[in-house]
Amino acid sequence: MNTKEKILVVDDYPSDQKMITMALESENYEVITASDGKEGIAKARSEKPDLIIMDVMMPEEDGLDACRELKSDPACSHIPIVIHTSIHDSPIILREFQKVTESPYADAYIDKPCNPEDLVAVVKKCLSR
Amino acid sequence: MNKTGMLGYLTRSLQVKMLLSSQCVVVAGGIIALMLGIRLYGKSIFEQAQDRVANDLSAARMVYLQEVNTIETVVQMTAERFFIKEGLAQSRFERVEQELQRVKTQNSFDLLTLTDPRGIVLLRIHNPPGRGDDLSEKDMIREALKGEPIAGTAILSAEDLAREGDSLVERACIDLVPTEQSKPRRLRCETSGMVLQAASPVTDESGRVLGVLCGGKVLNRNGTIVDRIRDTLFGEKTYRGRDVGTATIFLWDLRIATNVRTVDGERAIGTSVSSDVYERVLEQGGRYTGRAFVVHSSYITAYEPIRDTAGKIVGMLYVGILEQPFLDIRNEVIYAFLGVAVVGMIITFMLSVVLTKSITRPVNKLVKATRELSAGSFPSEVRVYSNDEIGHLADTFNSMSRDLCRTMEEKDAVNKNLLELNQRYLELLGFTTHELKQPLEVLNGYLIMLQNESIGTLTTSQQREAIGDMRINVTLMTDMIQKYLQLSKIESGELSVHRRRTKVYPEIVQPLLTGEEQRLASRKMALSFENREVLEHLELDVDPLLMRIVFSNLIDNAIKYGRKEGTITVGYSPHNGFHRFHVANEGSGIPPQFLNRVFEKFARIGKAGNVKVMGTGLGLYNTRVIVEKHGGKIWVESEEGRWADFIFLIPDGHL
Repeated sequence: MNTKEKILVVDDYPSDQKMITMALESENYEVITASDGKEGIAKARSEKPDLIIMDVMMPEEDGLDACRELKSDPACSHIPIVIHTSIHDSPIILREFQKVTESPYADAYIDKPCNPEDLVAVVKKCLSR
Repeated sequence: MNKTGMLGYLTRSLQVKMLLSSQCVVVAGGIIALMLGIRLYGKSIFEQAQDRVANDLSAARMVYLQEVNTIETVVQMTAERFFIKEGLAQSRFERVEQELQRVKTQNSFDLLTLTDPRGIVLLRIHNPPGRGDDLSEKDMIREALKGEPIAGTAILSAEDLAREGDSLVERACIDLVPTEQSKPRRLRCETSGMVLQAASPVTDESGRVLGVLCGGKVLNRNGTIVDRIRDTLFGEKTYRGRDVGTATIFLWDLRIATNVRTVDGERAIGTSVSSDVYERVLEQGGRYTGRAFVVHSSYITAYEPIRDTAGKIVGMLYVGILEQPFLDIRNEVIYAFLGVAVVGMIITFMLSVVLTKSITRPVNKLVKATRELSAGSFPSEVRVYSNDEIGHLADTFNSMSRDLCRTMEEKDAVNKNLLELNQRYLELLGFTTHELKQPLEVLNGYLIMLQNESIGTLTTSQQREAIGDMRINVTLMTDMIQKYLQLSKIESGELSVHRRRTKVYPEIVQPLLTGEEQRLASRKMALSFENREVLEHLELDVDPLLMRIVFSNLIDNAIKYGRKEGTITVGYSPHNGFHRFHVANEGSGIPPQFLNRVFEKFARIGKAGNVKVMGTGLGLYNTRVIVEKHGGKIWVESEEGRWADFIFLIPDGHL
């Protein structure tokens, strides 16, 4: 593998962001981060990551809106997105997610609290597609 | 409205009940009054009529006696006249005969006879050839021969009449005419004659009897007296073509002179009286008054006997008033009574409607207000302007309503306050647990990475043990927080049921079991399924998120409380229109006294022995709420020390 695969982690909670970053870097991925939806979209357009891990409840623009925007942008629509949120946190969000998965807005879902191993497994699965 | 419906309506309405009862009283009273009135009035009318007819009979008797007097006077005065005394004294009768002929004609006498002092007939004016017979044995002649004038009624036999002249025999002869109610008679023809007669002695200056003059009128077929009686008493009045009053003279029980008419309009001569009258008047010698059927019509009648000069009953005098006018008057009165009664009842009905309405209107107001109150709204004051029981009831009701209103307002305020407090508590709970969750997640993530040594190698076994314990504790805390979050969402109503077609096994059960694989392995627990093939293909209309919580809590419980190396069983079966699921574990089970309590909020099952099991006491409560929100039911069965089995039913969404 010549170039490291680039993963964009969008999460407003710094510790979470950092922990995920660490887990992914330990698996030899290049990780870039964003703290809200708006920044996430900007980074996705400028950095062209191979995969995006998207939190849902964030300030500025929430994760689901960001997914919709990215998937409707021809330049970014090919990038797989993994939604990362808690099923117990907000069933409403998950219902939204279910709608999203029915349309090609997101590619996978991972529950919070997340086991870093599970996260890595999902990422690997999405990238190998 | 059918009959029972109408009856039901009638007996439900207070006003109708009151109206009916008052009308019953009025109608019953009216009918009694009407019947009494008619009876009394009818009686009094007939009593008056009978009094009147009794008086009329007395008047008729006067007319009858006056006729006798007139004859007596004429006979007496004639006997006093000179020519007759002279004729008798000298036995020269030409002039006497002439004069007597004139007297007879003038006074319409039917017979006028002169005898000598022995009673031998000297002159018979009506029948001049008939002379020389002896009349001294005849009552009147005998009395007159003694020197005293006499007058009255006498009966002449057919023989007597024959002596007086053939024309009288013919007139007296009356054929019997049977009528409906007349008493049967032995003979078919009456031949005797009834005569009003007077006999007076003719005397010389010294008082010596020279002879007897006897004159009279035959009453048979003689309408003069009865018509005079009628005209005197009743005038010319008729009613519906019939005479109002009638008079009759009877020879014994036979009408010989009358103005009662037969159907043909003829005088009803030859008819006889009814048995009642016969017995009362002819046999007992009394007066009869009362209703009687006379020939063809009903009359109010009076009869009394006619006696001859010896006092023997020889006939009857009768006066009658037609009953029909009285019946008609009575009927008119009845109709008037009825009319008044009907009008009276209508008026009382209208009054009753008004009066009962004034009673029931406030009652209806109270009923309406009570209904409003029981429906939960507070009615405005019920206004009843009376100082009676209903007024007091309304006052009491108003005061009760005000008190209730105040109490409810206070209660509402308290409730509102409680709701606000609860809302704040839930918000705080949700906020706190949510805020706790994120740091714990990060902590857990790092601990996993540390434990896996993906971010560096752990150098000592103590480090590994410490990190393992940290992970167990972080997991417990995360679990607790999840349950509190569920609770806050359930209680704040955030968790409403959103049903969709869900594949129970692949979408819910399998991911959960996969997630628990490590825990199961670490406790060396075995999994078993009942009816797995059906379960794997089962699709239900449920809220997948909520059902996931249900299964998650039950499986979590089974692992937590199940014994090491035990088996956890997940089963499914259709059950009377429900879907029956159960999750069982082997282990200490639940003491019977706790079976009903494990689903209560914050309930925790004190486990026998000293094994410490962490828990919030919320999982089963949340589970029960979710199952119930799906219209289902959950319970637990257990054998203490051996197993516990949680069973729940979910209704089939397609049923």
